[in-house]
Order: sequence, then C-alpha cells, then structure tokens
Amino acid sequence: MALVTLLTVSLIVFTLMELVPGTCAERYLAFKNTQGSQITIADIEAEKKRLGLDRPFPERWGKWVYNVFVHGEFGDSCILRLNINQLLADKFWISLGICMAALILSYAIAVPIGIISASSQSPITNNSLRFVSYLGLALPNFLLALIIMLISTVLFGDSLTGLFSKEYRDAAWSWAKFGDFLSRAWLPVFILGWSATAFALQTVRALMLDEIGKLYVTAAAARGVSGRKLLWRYPAKHSLGPVINSLGFDLNRIFNELPIVALILTLTEAGALLFESLARSNDQQLAGAIIFLLTASIVALNFATDILLALIDPRVRRGLMG
Amino acid sequence: MTALIEVKNLTIQFRTDEGLVTAVDDVSFTIDKGQVMGLVGESGSGKSVTAKALMHLNARNAVYSPESRITLHTENGPVEVLKLKSARDLKIVRGGAISMIFQEPMASFAPAITIGDQMVEQLMLHSDMSKQKAKEISVEMLDRVGISDPARRFSQYAFELSGGMRQRAMIAMALSTKPKLLIADEPTTALDVTIQAQVIDLMKDLVREFHMGIIFITHDLGVIAQTADKVAVKYLGRIVEEGPVREVIRNPKHPYTQGLLAALPKLEDLDAPLTPVAGDIPSPLERPSGCVFHTRCPKIIGDVCKSKLPHHTQVDPTHRVACHLHTEVPA
Repeated sequence: MALVTLLTVSLIVFTLMELVPGTCAERYLAFKNTQGSQITIADIEAEKKRLGLDRPFPERWGKWVYNVFVHGEFGDSCILRLNINQLLADKFWISLGICMAALILSYAIAVPIGIISASSQSPITNNSLRFVSYLGLALPNFLLALIIMLISTVLFGDSLTGLFSKEYRDAAWSWAKFGDFLSRAWLPVFILGWSATAFALQTVRALMLDEIGKLYVTAAAARGVSGRKLLWRYPAKHSLGPVINSLGFDLNRIFNELPIVALILTLTEAGALLFESLARSNDQQLAGAIIFLLTASIVALNFATDILLALIDPRVRRGLMG
Repeated sequence: MTALIEVKNLTIQFRTDEGLVTAVDDVSFTIDKGQVMGLVGESGSGKSVTAKALMHLNARNAVYSPESRITLHTENGPVEVLKLKSARDLKIVRGGAISMIFQEPMASFAPAITIGDQMVEQLMLHSDMSKQKAKEISVEMLDRVGISDPARRFSQYAFELSGGMRQRAMIAMALSTKPKLLIADEPTTALDVTIQAQVIDLMKDLVREFHMGIIFITHDLGVIAQTADKVAVKYLGRIVEEGPVREVIRNPKHPYTQGLLAALPKLEDLDAPLTPVAGDIPSPLERPSGCVFHTRCPKIIGDVCKSKLPHHTQVDPTHRVACHLHTEVPA
C-alpha cells in the first residue's frame, strides 16, 4: 500500500516537474547565456538530446522512478550540474532529523500536559496553559528565532547561527562533529517545536476533554476505578488515536516552517535548498528530488503510525485483519 | 423486610453559568433488600441524577443541600454515602455494594479494552482475589447471563458483540461483585423489544437469585409494571406519587401519573387517539412556583396550586401523593 502511494507520488512529482515552463536544457543554457556565452537553438537541441528530454513522458518517468527506487539516484541538478545526491548529501537527513526531533519534542510535552490539564479543574492551571499555548500559536517562529539570536548575541557573543561551528563546518562526520551539531541543532528544534507544541497541546486537550465526557468513563468510575488509572487507562488511551493519526500531517507542517527558521539561523538544510531551487533558480530536478524525499518520509511515517494505531486500537486491528 | 438504602430530603443543584439549577428537590425513599423500585419520569425529571447520587457520582458542580442524607445499610453497619470522600472509601458504593448499568451498553464499555479486562479489573478492585480467579468468575458470570461461548466473549471487545449481548455482558459485569443494590438506568431503552423482554426476564431471575434491591429507572410505565414492586413517579426533580406498582397503575392519584398512563399506546384499541401529557416541561431555570406541575395540570384547582407546594399525603399506608387535590385539609 505504502509502495503504491510512493509510486503515485513519484508520478505527481514528476509531472509537476514537467509542468514548470521550459526544460532543464533551456534553463541551463539560459543560465550559461547570462554568464556571457552565445547560445544557439542547435545547442539547446543537442543538450536536450544529451539529457534524454526528447524521449516520451512515460519513458522519462519510468527511468526516473527506476533510478530513484533501484539506485537511489536523482540525477543531476539543472543549474549546478552537480549530482543531486552529492548536493543534498546530509542536508536532507539533517532537515528530517530536525523536524522529527521537533515533532517528538512537541508531543513529548503536549501529550502529558494536555491530558493532565484536561482533567484538572484548577482555573489557574488552565488559564496559564491557555496563555502559553496562545503565545506559541501567535508568536511567529521567525520572530522567536530573532529574539533568541539577539539575546544570545548580547549575552554570549555567539549568535548561535548555522548548524556547525567554524572548525567543523567542512570536516567529515565524527563524534566531535556530531556533538557540535547537537549543541547547535537544539535551537531550530526548540523554535520549531515551540509552535508545534502549542498546537499539539490544544489538540490533545480538546480530544481528552471529549473522551472524559464519554459514558464509559462514568461507567468505569461507577465500577470503582479511580485516580490515575481512571485517567490514563480509560480516556487517555482512547484520545491518542487521532493524535497518532495526525503525526504525518504535523511533520509536513513543521517542514514547511523550517525554511524560514533556517533562513534566519543560516542553516544549511534541505528546506532552504528547496525554497531556493523552486523560487529562485527554477531547478526542477533538485526541487523534485527534495519534494519526493519529503513525501516519502511522510508516507513512511504514516505507515509507522498506522501500525502504532493498530497496536492501541482493536477496532483498527480487526479492520486490517478483516 | 429490612431497609437496604434510605434516601432522605435529597436535594441536588448544579452550579452553572446561568446560576443554580435544581435537578432533585427534597426526594425521600427507601428500598428494602430484594425490592425492585421503579423510578419513572420524563427526561429532565432528575432520575439519573438521583441514581448517581447513590454512588456519589455526580459531576463536580453538583451541590447537595445540608439536609440531604443517603444511608446504605451493610453487614458492617450503616454508611453515610454523601460523607464518603476518598476513592478508597467510595469503592463500597461504586461497584462494591452498589452497581450500575447504563442505557447505552455500547458506550459504557471502553472501546479499546476487552470486556474481560474490564470485568477482571472491577473484581480485583473490590476483592483480593487473584487474576486467574477473577477471570474464572467473570467467565462464569458471562455464562450465567446467557452469553454463549463465554470464554471467547471474555477476550472480545464491545464492538464485536450484538446490542443485546452487550447489555447482558454489562449486567454480568455489574453483578460479578455481588452488589446489594443494582441501579439500572434505562437498561432496555436502547434495545429491540424482543431483546428487551429477554433482558427484563434475566434481571428478574437475577434479583431472585442474588436477593438484590434494584432501582429501575425508565420513562416506560409498561416496563415498570412488569418488573417493579413499587414505583416512584418524578416530575421536575420531585417525587409526585409513590406506592406499590399495581396500586399506582390501577388507581393513580396524581394528575401527572394519570397523564402518563393515558399516554401509553393501547394495543386493544388502535384507533384510540394518543393522549400525551399536554404542554412542555418548563426550563429548569424557570421552576414553577407552588406545585411544579401546575403549568401542565389538567385538574388545576386554583391559586393554591400556583403558590403553595403540596405536601405528601398518605392515601393509604403504602401509597402517597403530593397534590392539593388530595391534601386532607385544603389550604
């Protein structure tokens, strides 16, 4: 099922890449032109032939899919003439890692707090939580990033920008470099997690309030179930289904916010690269590759959440097994 | 007969944004061991709130008047239900000596926990038996209420059972701890008529077998006639009439009870028009002064009904009614 989704996605991504006006060949040569070279129609035709762009659409799609699925190859970037795999290198994994970390962080905070706040009758707890969550929803990420940068620059003389310290920027991966990465990556994770947490908190709390009002909770209380057991075994367990269901969607939302944060913190990651390749250089090959990788991650995450859902909800489980 | 539970001057109000709303108003009744009492009334008459009060289970915005008293008589002496505070103390009225079954059996089982797990959990909460023993008793109970293949049902979820089977399972769970009082809140309303009859028969058998008291809450006087020993008719939180079932049904004194009986469809005369109780239930925020029923009463006798609350009058030693028509000395 997940594989069918991926193939469909690849078709859509590939079609979108094709829909961008102009071809890779024209784009590259136009780029050359701005660099001062004289370009003729014959040059474009030759370039098209070299790239295989004269072949029919299904054949090109098939080849692209074959390369991606079998060899994990995305071909060359249109403009930079570099192999996309090299160009992306760790950037995609860094982006995905940051987004996943933000996602995990936000739910690690939101689930327990949302559940406890829903069962709490204290107006102080509820109002302060509401305040914090509105702040999280209303304060734009870039503003938060700027504030933190400002504070850290003034206080520590380090703007905390970039993902690596100078000495590690071009070094090969090592434990030291990884440690350095972690010491910096917490900032984008925190900033992205901030609004995601606020959003998740509202969702968890609303779902939980909904579950608490249900008859089976009263019925369990009427049987003598009480305290923590009544909270976690009954409504909490049942309110998590929709939360798990929306994880894939949340990942996408966080990824969407990543480029803005990345721009400010001058991170070298794939979101910014996607933005660059789509908006500025029209590098359809590169953009397609990133979008495909992102979608594949979401499909993979959805697959994982489906399994998780089946584990906690017998109705889903029986549905899957027929 | 000895009293099992005594309710005296029970008044319950709910704090809401619109102010205090009265749900139960000065209600008193007694249920003896092995007695079945029907609690009848339209929605909003405070039937469920009264029942939940017996388990001290009403929402946190419920306010009990200081005179309210609920006394449960157990082997270890009387228990003042409304004075119970901690979860440990409350266990005696929640699933221990008192069990409750609800209108919607589907919604009263947790959807993602097996029926067996929920039964075992309750048994282990109220005794110190082993898990193995609790499972044996649960399967036995499922078998007792007429569920076929109980061992398999034990490990199934509520959504895998039919409606009638769910209510049987609910009854099995409620009775597994051998309660002295069973509160049945419209237990058959959500069931087909044929299944309804089976469930009622089952409950009658079980009362005899376990010698339990039952509060049977319903809006259906027909069901009450088949099951209960005595009946209390509620309107807007007050008991307007109470007495032995046969006596009340054959010889209703309160105009509201008469109206409810007249509203029952009659199978022997299908052409007879239905005669519903006229008018609507007033909003709980606008409780009528005097007799709460005067806004809809076909036999209203004048200003006394609008201004003075009728007291209960014994029309015979077991039958009482709260209506100015029957007040010995009309004021």
